Amino acid sequence: MPGTDTAAPVIEMRHVNKTFGNLQVLKDINLSVQTGEVVVVIGPSGSGKSTLCRTINRLESIDSGEILISGEPLPEEGSELAAVRAELGMVFQSFNLFAHMDILKNVTIGPTEVLGMSREDAEREAMELLERVGVASQAKKVPAQLSGGQQQRVAIARSLAMHPRAMLFDEPTSALDPEMINEVLDVMVNLASQGMTMIVVTHEMNFARRVADRVVFMADGEILEEGAPEEFFEHPKTDRAREFLDSIRGH
Amino acid sequence: MSVNTRSAQLSMRDALYEEPGPKTRRRIRIGTGIAALLLAALLALVVYQFWATGQLDPQYWLFFTQPTTWGFLFSGFLGTLSVSLSAAAIALVLALLLMLGRISGIRPLAVVCRILTDFFRGVPSLLLIYFFFLVVPQYGIKLPAFWMLTAPVALAASGVLAEVLRAGVNAVPRGQMEAALSIGMRPFRARMLIVVPQAIRFVIPSLISQLVVVVKDTTLAYVVSYPDLLQNARVLITNYDALVSTYFVAAIIYILLNYAINQLAVLASKKTGSTRVDRMTQNPT
Repeated sequence: MPGTDTAAPVIEMRHVNKTFGNLQVLKDINLSVQTGEVVVVIGPSGSGKSTLCRTINRLESIDSGEILISGEPLPEEGSELAAVRAELGMVFQSFNLFAHMDILKNVTIGPTEVLGMSREDAEREAMELLERVGVASQAKKVPAQLSGGQQQRVAIARSLAMHPRAMLFDEPTSALDPEMINEVLDVMVNLASQGMTMIVVTHEMNFARRVADRVVFMADGEILEEGAPEEFFEHPKTDRAREFLDSIRGH
Repeated sequence: MSVNTRSAQLSMRDALYEEPGPKTRRRIRIGTGIAALLLAALLALVVYQFWATGQLDPQYWLFFTQPTTWGFLFSGFLGTLSVSLSAAAIALVLALLLMLGRISGIRPLAVVCRILTDFFRGVPSLLLIYFFFLVVPQYGIKLPAFWMLTAPVALAASGVLAEVLRAGVNAVPRGQMEAALSIGMRPFRARMLIVVPQAIRFVIPSLISQLVVVVKDTTLAYVVSYPDLLQNARVLITNYDALVSTYFVAAIIYILLNYAINQLAVLASKKTGSTRVDRMTQNPT
């Protein structure tokens, strides 16, 4: 893999713009994430934070600007793009486990189909990962038989099986019942403490406070504030951020 | 759980109409009674007409007591079955190729597949049979009767099946494809391993129901003189001069066959029902 320049940020966005029709969803986004950093992106719905997350592995294309992964421009198609995607884990709001495969197969299909790992090796590692996220006992079930929290933890294991150099979380707890949110957040806290580079789009403010190295606040497609969590939560600089924080603290 | 079993019990009637009240129930009972009387009267009229015109005379029915009659009909039935199954299998493969071409994202291929799909869907099977029966031999290609029937029936079905499969692909949530891409699969691989298998599960009941149309298309066998059930029935009619009774028996056999196919589709839709549920839990929005 080219671009293993260790000094370069794992993920860097430079002057990124994107429009959907007349709506500009990303306005001149600049963001850089260093190895081992946990960056939490928050903001009101419709602020473009999910889109930002999805442009990083090109599930959404961009109109202008640059995205660099370990110093190399993000490829636009073909096997080069697939190779970069394989190195960036992605966890979705709606889990997106492969509905027709059992849990074990969900985790092994990436390593066997993309990395060319043998089935035995992939299964051994998958079981270790499932153990780590606490759903090893469900390995032979299909996704529909698991709770949302369990499904999301499997989705995290599926990403980890690819040995990603960074992980993208697109509102990973937004579709979960309240009692299942913590089991997923616990796994993410663990990952962060083990040094995983992470971009997390979320509404979980406690998680942001506890785990984030940096909080990025977005509204209307722009990054309005960026800083250490306690700084941002205690002393937001913009009115927009203050309003947003007030509205979620309202009760 | 209780919600799931309840919704499983919801029939089409429950979904479309509200629970009837006492007055409506009475009206329904009266309506049902009148309809039953009318039907009985109609049936009696038909039987009377048969009797009056002599269609119930033993000469038209006695030959059904001979094993050779049933043996002959059975060989026709096997002919129908082998054409139906071969045509269905070929149609399914063709349909899959047409559908994959159409969703491939390669523009010229997609256009060609779309034109072929619409063509086979739009042209009557009989016209396709004439093509294989009258036009193809002019180019020196001699096909056996079996293929002059099977090939056009398969082509006609492939257009419809391609559309059924495409509907299945559209029913697979977008997130499945995105998840596959995000672990580094190439788009074609993701489609084949993740999207298409789920799409086929969604539409298995519709695919089986489509078999009924294939079976009915095979009755065009007379054009190419292939000995299917209806063709053999026709031979019996000329031998015994028993038109109504023979067609009656043939119709019953077709009905039973297609009823069996439909039951298969119902069974399949019950089996694949679980995948519907997990699609719902996967998309909580």
